[in-house]
Formats: sequence, structure tokens, C-alpha cells
Amino acid sequence: MLASMLVLLVANPAAMLSEMIAASTDALKLCIELCAVYAVWLGILELVDASGLGEKLAKLLRPLIKRIFKVEDEQTQRLIAMNVSANMLGIGNAATPLGIKSMQALDDGSGKANFAMIMLIVVNATSIQLLPTTVIGLRAAAGSAHPADIILPTLLATFVTTATGILLVHLIHNIFTKNGKKLAKK
Amino acid sequence: MDAYILPIIFIFLFAYCLKKKVNTYDTFVKGAKGAIPLVVEIFPYIATILVATTLLRVSGITNFLAQILSPIFHALGIPSELVELVLLRPFTGSGSYGILENIFSTYGADSYISRCACVIMGCSETIFYVATVYLSQTKVKKLLYAIPVALFCSLIGTIVACLVCKIM
Repeated sequence: MLASMLVLLVANPAAMLSEMIAASTDALKLCIELCAVYAVWLGILELVDASGLGEKLAKLLRPLIKRIFKVEDEQTQRLIAMNVSANMLGIGNAATPLGIKSMQALDDGSGKANFAMIMLIVVNATSIQLLPTTVIGLRAAAGSAHPADIILPTLLATFVTTATGILLVHLIHNIFTKNGKKLAKK
Repeated sequence: MDAYILPIIFIFLFAYCLKKKVNTYDTFVKGAKGAIPLVVEIFPYIATILVATTLLRVSGITNFLAQILSPIFHALGIPSELVELVLLRPFTGSGSYGILENIFSTYGADSYISRCACVIMGCSETIFYVATVYLSQTKVKKLLYAIPVALFCSLIGTIVACLVCKIM
């Protein structure tokens, strides 16, 4: 941030404050939109939870989540299961509040990210996407003849990234713990 | 086809709630109540990350980096037309969609460059945004290796994307 401020000081000093405020205005607009979107999704998610569907989904994904995240707490497993499923369906807006809740449940108050938290960030950052709906929509709007022909390549690439991510986090975690640095006990 | 997926899931959900005798109105209200406090809590984090990325872009630092990095990216099989997208993608969602549309109009939506760009968008995420927002409600200050690993995986994804699009 400081570096870009210094460059701007030389290049275009008048633009700095106005650009910063414009960006913060964008953030406010985004948050108002997000608030509306979250209200709908949090309502839906509360229904998923209350009806017991969340529990069913978690049961389905539990063995996988236990292996990947090494989380034992059932409530947290359920949150992670729903976060991951929302991501896979390409509903990032539903995934975010779930991700925040999962992180709160995983927080051990040590100020350091633990193994499961790092894993959750990496899994979300490499987001397995079964249906890249937004991109297909944009591509169709741009006049593509076969807007959906990127689904297969996307699946392949996203699978490779997520698999690499999970393996790398496990690998680094193992190296750290072997060196006696107890980074994550969860 | 895609348009039917969510409505069908929602209808199924409401029907299921009816069967399980869940009070849908009260439950929905209870969930929706959480939206405003959540957004109020994450706004400062979103504002900060947007201000920082805007400064990076407006100051021309990203352009400068794109120039330096383009030979390296070229060696990895990533076309130089995509360097800006690859660099900005971890920071901004709306910004990278803007670049994607730009690529569509410049190279045509069915060109190799555009298809690569689509796959890159699909297999990557706004890493810094996700990390900031997700951790905003925790005490975590040290992310350890989370960001480097995420960035590295995105790079792998980008390389795979460019490769796959050449074949498929």
C-alpha cells in the first residue's frame, strides 16, 4: 500500500484521495448488496439446518472432512460441509457466511491460524466448481457459439488445483510438526 | 438448464421443511437477522482490501509487474495477454470479471485466449479477499503458509488451464 502511495505521489498526486474514497464507496455498495444476498442465504441456510438436511449433508461428507480437515467437532464439521457444498455449486455468496462461521468455530484464540483453518482457506481459495455459472453467463453474453464448452477444462483444472492444495497443506503441516513446531493441534 | 437448479433445490427445501413441520417463516427470519450484523462486521475489511487494490492498480504497479513477469509467465506456457488477469485475480472479483469481459471483446469469446481466461477464472478465487473476510471474526493474525500455498495452487491451476485449453 505504501509503495503504491509513493508511486502515485510522483505520478498523479491529485488522484490519491479521490481514488481511495471511490474504492471505499465501492466497498459500501458491495456490502449493501451483500447484506441483501446474505439475508436470503442465511434464511435459506437456517432452514437447511432446522430441517435436518444440513446434518444429512454433513453425515455424507463427514468421512471426507475428517480426513482432510482433521476436525472432530460435529457442529464444525457441519459448517464446513455446507461451506464446501455451496462452493461446489458455485454459490460463493452462500459459502461466505458459512466460511466465517466455520472459522469462528475453529478459532482457538492463539492468534495463529491452525491446520484446519489453513486448509479451509486453501480449499476455498482453490474452489472446486462444478458449474462456473457466472463465467458461462458472461461468455454467452459476449456472443460465444459454445459458451458451456469450458465446463470440462474448468473441472479438470479446478480438480488439479484443489488436490495440489490439500496435498501441499498436509505435506507442510507434517514437516512443521516433525520439526517439533506444534502449529496445529486440531 | 442452469436456471432450474437453484429453484428446484429451494422448492425441495421448503417442501422438506413442511414435511418435517419446521416453522419456515420464523426460521427464515431467524437466519436473515444475522445478515446486517455480519455485513457491519466485515465492511471495514472489505473497504481496506478494496482501497489497497485500487491503489495498486491506479499507481500502475500492477502494469509494471505484468511487464516484468510476462517473460516468466510465457516460459510457463501462460500467454502474455493473460498476465493482468492472473495478477489481479487473487485481489478482486469484480475487477477480474471486468478484465474477462475486456478479453472477450478484444480477442472474441471463442478464441484460445478467452477460453483460457474462463478456465482460469473457474479454478481460482479472490484469495486475499477470502482470507480477510473469513478470518475477520477470529483472533487470527498469523496466517502462516496459507496464502503462499493458495497462490502457488492458483499458479498451477493457471498453467493447467492453458495446457488443457490447447488440447480440448
